[in-house]
Amino acid sequence: MMKILVVNLGGQWTHRIWRRLNYLGCESAIIEPDTPIEKLGDVDGLVLSGGAVRIGSGGEKIVKHVASYLDNLGKPIVGLCAGHQFMAIHFGGTSEPAKIPEYGQVEIEVLNENDLFKGIPKKFTAWASHNDEVTSAPGFEVLAKSRDCKIEAMRHKKMPLYGIQFHPEVEHTKYGEKIFENFVGVCKR
Amino acid sequence: MFEPEKFVDESIKQLQETIDGPTIIACSGGVDSTVTAVLLHKAIGKNLKCIFVDTGMMRKNEPEQVSKMFESLGIPLKVIDAKRDFIDALHDVVEPEKKRKIIGELFIRIFEKEAKKVKAKYLAQGTLAPDWIESGGQLRDTIKSHHNVGGLPERMNLKLIEPVRDLYKDEVRRVAEYLGIPKEVYSKQPFPGPGLAVRVLGEVTEEKIEIVREACAIVEEELEKAAEEGKMKLPWQYFAVLMPIKSVGVHGDTRAYGYVISVRAVDSTDGMTADYSHVPHEVLHKISIRITNTMKDKVNRVVYDITSKPPGTIEWE
Repeated sequence: MMKILVVNLGGQWTHRIWRRLNYLGCESAIIEPDTPIEKLGDVDGLVLSGGAVRIGSGGEKIVKHVASYLDNLGKPIVGLCAGHQFMAIHFGGTSEPAKIPEYGQVEIEVLNENDLFKGIPKKFTAWASHNDEVTSAPGFEVLAKSRDCKIEAMRHKKMPLYGIQFHPEVEHTKYGEKIFENFVGVCKR
Repeated sequence: MFEPEKFVDESIKQLQETIDGPTIIACSGGVDSTVTAVLLHKAIGKNLKCIFVDTGMMRKNEPEQVSKMFESLGIPLKVIDAKRDFIDALHDVVEPEKKRKIIGELFIRIFEKEAKKVKAKYLAQGTLAPDWIESGGQLRDTIKSHHNVGGLPERMNLKLIEPVRDLYKDEVRRVAEYLGIPKEVYSKQPFPGPGLAVRVLGEVTEEKIEIVREACAIVEEELEKAAEEGKMKLPWQYFAVLMPIKSVGVHGDTRAYGYVISVRAVDSTDGMTADYSHVPHEVLHKISIRITNTMKDKVNRVVYDITSKPPGTIEWE
């Protein structure tokens, strides 16, 4: 059984990530962001949740310990919303308050299906809820965008690290389960 | 996948291992607390005392229906009339979080009193995942304090038992079906613990509760009828909200000045995200006419809420 843990950055939908992974037959648990890396045990991957922390205007310091997973775990990690923003700034990018934030329904356009968007239409509706957004992400390739957000999803060019600005864990995101299934597939490799 | 059978077996076993004495349970007649009551009844039998508090903030005819339902399940239910306490406690309170906290604490004080009578150490509740998620904690912001979580006082003498706290509405409904709970109970739309108090925006008065109760009944009746007739799919949740403002109207050539009702209907699976329901205009029109005609002295304007969650929440407070 695959073991994929959820790092809780304080999101409303953190528990929904846990549910998605459970439904896909993974062993999962929600852990706090300051859990020492040695305590994660034998994991196959991590999901960084969203959260109320404002990444780019100080919130990144509150969850700074997450950096050790990105640097030292050596397993696939996907960051969602705040997790995605944290990933960008950790590798030298920027996250800033969005000029036009997205709450609720948003149309996602896939630019490069890569691993995450395999088997998913080029355009689909998702649910978002973010005040900040990634404005630059050196070392990452952009996988998807929306009208108002240029980096809706990204992938690190060398490591199996992924970021998604919208929320594939919620019921209203079409193909959300498929995106998780694709991530679990990456973890299986 | 979620397997109700496995969930029930594991829950009952765990409840039997944890509980060693009389337990009271807070019952509202909704699916969450009814599933919790049936699980506990199976686990500890006569050690379970079910309590229903009539807050005066329930929907039309609800207290009577709840009593009848428990009778049909064969589980004894004690009904406590606390209508006066709730309306008095809410006097002059406008802020939604304050309302929710007052209601939560009032519930607990009543349960503590009842627990003492039967020497119970445990309080069981039908807390679902969204209740504790939205109530906040650690890095998680408080969206709204659910009466059964965020409304709990810091010091309380009862140990909490919450067997369905990791489930969402769609899952608890599947457990209910598996347990043989009547369909009217598990298919019933969600209703907030603080009841109509959070559907009267701003200060709660008896008059306003009556207005919103009647408006909710009309919304329910019309949407259920439309769904039965195949005009639309029944929304996940549907109700009326009383705005804290008045607007000008005209009734038979005379000026009218009355309240505004907002109709809310949403589609969801788990209550964590929602979209407004695309209710046919003819159905909305019927609702509008019925509300403004039957409540002629009170309401002269009806609006429809087209906000999803996020950015809105399902209830307005």
